[in-house]
Amino acid sequence: MPKLGRRSKVGIIVILALALILVGAILFPVPQPAVHLSANYGKDTHVEETHIDETPVDEVHNGEVVEEASHIPPPFFKLGPIWFTNTLITSLMSVVVLGLLFFFGTCRMELVPTGLQNLCETIVETLLNFFQSVAGEASGRRFLPVIATIFLYVITNAWMGLLPIYNIFGWGEHGTTTTLLNSIAGSVFPEYEGFIVKTAVLRPANTDINVPLMLALVSFLAVEYWGITAIGARNYAGKFFRYGQFIGALGQLVRGKVKTALSGLFYGFIDIFVGGLELLSEFVRIISFTFRLFGNMTAGEVLLLMMAFLVPWLIAVPFYGLETLLGAIQALIFAGLTLVFATLAVTPHEHEHD
Amino acid sequence: MEEAFKYLGAGLAMGLGALGPGVGIGILGYGAMQALGRNPEARGPIMTNMILAIAFAEAIGIYALIIAIILGML
Repeated sequence: MPKLGRRSKVGIIVILALALILVGAILFPVPQPAVHLSANYGKDTHVEETHIDETPVDEVHNGEVVEEASHIPPPFFKLGPIWFTNTLITSLMSVVVLGLLFFFGTCRMELVPTGLQNLCETIVETLLNFFQSVAGEASGRRFLPVIATIFLYVITNAWMGLLPIYNIFGWGEHGTTTTLLNSIAGSVFPEYEGFIVKTAVLRPANTDINVPLMLALVSFLAVEYWGITAIGARNYAGKFFRYGQFIGALGQLVRGKVKTALSGLFYGFIDIFVGGLELLSEFVRIISFTFRLFGNMTAGEVLLLMMAFLVPWLIAVPFYGLETLLGAIQALIFAGLTLVFATLAVTPHEHEHD
Repeated sequence: MEEAFKYLGAGLAMGLGALGPGVGIGILGYGAMQALGRNPEARGPIMTNMILAIAFAEAIGIYALIIAIILGML
């Protein structure tokens, strides 16, 4: 056997990979995935079949009939106001996973930690150091429970969504779809014929818009609570309603110093405006947090589904790496931004009076 | 006709909406690389702040994606 140089080794690996992809495409075609941008919060299908007699020609959007492409599957069952969707199941699963991890990590505590206890202590200590480096010693320790929970919940949801059991099995129907390679070269690559999943039983929890919305509301309430309890309600409200300089300038006007009063009025007016903008930005932050996490996770899930559908068996692997990194970064960003806004909220506002 | 404009709008929204964040993230990376080159020991804070700022810039691109998705589903 001649000694193979590096280039020929790489060539052999590339040829093997291509052969694997071709074999996968010929023997195991992948069905076209049903990509829903929302979890199954749809209406039940049997109430929508009553409008057969009237078919308006020029109306694009009839009231009850929903088009096939955007049909959102109904939930599994409803328990009063709670809709049991696939993302509810997976978010509860990640709660159970986190709870079990930390329960078994701390059930027999020793002074020198080993094994699972070591892992749990590493996680908590790393997060505590990170928070204390941004917010200071006392504040970092105070913010730890809520923000570390947000971080761990988001990262568990994101990483568990990459397991192969998600988006695979569920309710569906028998049918045939074409695959991409089938539409290119139909005789060699067969169509997919078999069971097609329309409603998956498990779906990554971050792709439901309610989960990022819930986290954003929790972070908003936590930041307001910490701000009010740290520096007092009056001082905290004084950051948004800054009438101090304006009223001081009015006082100067009454007393007769017109020149300083005019400049004071101008800057006082700008101060009020800036305070109003800060108040608005507190609320816009909720929407921004929600859509950042939701958009990243949904785009990642659609990307993975499309990659697995396009070319089978190997091309999806680099995208899995990207999605893993993205999940971790989004968790860090959510927790880090909450931490930064909490740190800004607990610092007292210095009034500048000239 | 309406459908055509909807899909055209969706494509334009995402395409033009990705210009700003792309340039913004590039400028942020440039600043971070320069800072890292001047002071390689401050790697921790530089990278942390860079990731945070990139998240802010990327969120604007995500807003454009949401608008494109909504337009495609209407």
